Amino acid sequence: MGLIFGKKKQVSRITEQDKAVLQLKQQRDKLKQYHKRIGICLEKDREVAKKLLNNGQRERAKLLLRKKRYQEQLLQRTENQLENLEKMTHDIEFAQIEIQVVNGLKRGNEALKKLNDALSIEDVERILDETREGIEKQQEIDSLLSGVLTSEDEDAVLSELDSLIAESLPEVPSEDKMDVNLPELPEVPSEPMKGSLYKITLEIYLVLYFSEKKPVKKVPEQVALEA
Amino acid sequence: MADVNIDWPWQYSFPPFFSLQPHTETRSKQIAAWKTLILEYFKASKQSTLDIHEATNLPVFNNTAINRKLNTAALLTILNELQNSGNAAPTDKQKNIWEIYWHTLEEWGNIIYTYIMNIGATNSVLTIYELTQGDDVQNEEFYGLDSNVFIKILKALETQGKCEVMLFDDQQGVKFF
Repeated sequence: MGLIFGKKKQVSRITEQDKAVLQLKQQRDKLKQYHKRIGICLEKDREVAKKLLNNGQRERAKLLLRKKRYQEQLLQRTENQLENLEKMTHDIEFAQIEIQVVNGLKRGNEALKKLNDALSIEDVERILDETREGIEKQQEIDSLLSGVLTSEDEDAVLSELDSLIAESLPEVPSEDKMDVNLPELPEVPSEPMKGSLYKITLEIYLVLYFSEKKPVKKVPEQVALEA
Repeated sequence: MADVNIDWPWQYSFPPFFSLQPHTETRSKQIAAWKTLILEYFKASKQSTLDIHEATNLPVFNNTAINRKLNTAALLTILNELQNSGNAAPTDKQKNIWEIYWHTLEEWGNIIYTYIMNIGATNSVLTIYELTQGDDVQNEEFYGLDSNVFIKILKALETQGKCEVMLFDDQQGVKFF
């Protein structure tokens, strides 16, 4: 990579605009330095003025403050100039970016044009035609090949396919499997239970009798007799 | 810059440290210790240049507490060692003025280039002043770095194609790519 870059380096990648930006930034740096210097000066002057006042030298302090005031104005002005410079450099940098964008668009446009040139409508039509021909040919071959099988064979193939599909599907639960026979439950007596044990047993027997007739057929009679 | 705050190694208060030892193994250890000490000192004091005739003015080469100084010949030997590891270079043929790089130029190059990438300043022009003295770089390690050293770092970066140094008249700038 170094080699490639090394060779490329012969062509400087620095443009005239870059030089201009550098000059502006350099100017800005100088202004910043100046700004700093005045700032320090102001601070010092303030200190000195304070000292003079303490010593009772009012006039000199006033003079100093006047100087300070002037320098403050200078400071203000340098700030404005700094702003201007910064604006200018930003403008230049932005313009450079805009140029790059336009260049990019231009190149993209050219590429697109070239691509479009490479793809003429006739070509597309021709290719589509050829494809169609190809498909037709394929179908012809298909029919020729499948022609070897009789229609019965075809049916067999289809039915096998169906059965394969049926196997691959999950089983649907059938209706009759769904309702499981639940044994009927005895009814809950609506009234609180009273009376002797035999009455209850009788009731149980009766219930059982009605639900499953056979095994307890004789029992109610016995109970009744006992009662 | 006499009041540089660094952790002085124990050797610094050890008188034999200030004269080169004849025994090879001891000597190589001694020189290694000196190298670290010098780099540490220059890093802490943010200095980059060293005049070997003024060296004894620096506390690092002159421990007044134990009354020991490093003589010029020994200093030269150590500086040559530093040069071998890329941490120093003489600026004149007489080898009187040396530049000390507590990061080698390549390391510096990487640090600066990473910074440039981080702030997205590739493809724009920057001045050396704003990179070494500007308000934006106050927290960067290369803040306050000697501008001559800085330009050397940039030149090294230039050979990698990562930037191009612009030096016309009194203008010093760089464009990163």
